[in-house]
Amino acid sequence: MYRDPENGRHLCREHFLADIEIRVAETIRSRNLIVKGDHVAIALSGGKDSTALLMILTKILPSLDSVRLSAITIDEGISGYREDTIRSADRLVVRYGIPHITVSFPELFGGTLDAFLKGREPEACSVCGILRRKALNGAAEQAGATKLATGHNLDDESQSVFMNVLRGDLPRLVRDSGSDSQGRFIPRVKPLMFVSEKEIAVYLMLHGMWADLPECPYAVHALRGEVRRMLATLESKHPGTMLNLMKSKAKIEAQCGGLLMKETVNRCRECGDPCSGEICQFCKLKKSLKR
Amino acid sequence: MKIILPDKSSRETGPAMVTVEDLLRDLGFDPIEVIVSRNGTLVTEDAVVGNNDEVRIIRIAHGG
Repeated sequence: MYRDPENGRHLCREHFLADIEIRVAETIRSRNLIVKGDHVAIALSGGKDSTALLMILTKILPSLDSVRLSAITIDEGISGYREDTIRSADRLVVRYGIPHITVSFPELFGGTLDAFLKGREPEACSVCGILRRKALNGAAEQAGATKLATGHNLDDESQSVFMNVLRGDLPRLVRDSGSDSQGRFIPRVKPLMFVSEKEIAVYLMLHGMWADLPECPYAVHALRGEVRRMLATLESKHPGTMLNLMKSKAKIEAQCGGLLMKETVNRCRECGDPCSGEICQFCKLKKSLKR
Repeated sequence: MKIILPDKSSRETGPAMVTVEDLLRDLGFDPIEVIVSRNGTLVTEDAVVGNNDEVRIIRIAHGG
């Protein structure tokens, strides 16, 4: 049914599903990602990763005392892409009985991502990333969440490690989004960080929850796309490459993370959000957005 | 053997038996980026397909 390319192990349906859930539970436990009393807001796009995250957390979190779940969906306004995933998210929260908040870029920022990106498509991921972060943080605060869980998987995380190396961005390489805000942001957690994209797809398929959803039309512009193809080729030829990148990051973090984390967190002089300089990325971006 | 590709188009091949991994490489797919089912059931890359099998190749969309 599923063969682990790293060790050649074959798993049947039941053992594969159990293996994924045990690994996610272990990631949560060993890293204290979610603790007793937490209110976890899941960033639910309705795509495969966040769908799997919601299903797995719903299954494994009842073993933790008094943990609450809710879901946040951001409608960026990406025509021909987001409509399908939002419908999928709506069906999922009804099925699992999870409280759900949906917020849109037009209501928050006065326009769709499509409109903001006219003529600046190559910047799509950085513009969207800044706006999504602002939207998610605001909605998570509104929901009263204590943790914000995202569906980033092993492929995403290893790509980020590699991209930060390619950019020479050592501080970002060792930055931990769960704790780098010195208590001023709701910590982000990534319970699927050691589950591969393929394992997530198989998990959904075995649950009959696989949906053939489109890819973001702006993904073609991203450096990530090139890194993704390169790492996929390496992982195929040398299974374990992605996990090794994560281990490298952990070792660098252990050796010099503390030295690089001295940067103080200020308050943006325009909106008051935590930031490293005088003005946050969102306020810098806001001025250049076409509506 | 009938092969259904990610874009939903299909093609027929001869009855020769072949591993899923070899089939994917012949068709130009990286096994890490697709999932394969044989007659509606997921199979691993070392499974052998051929004869009258219906093989479906599903591309894993990124993001989400």
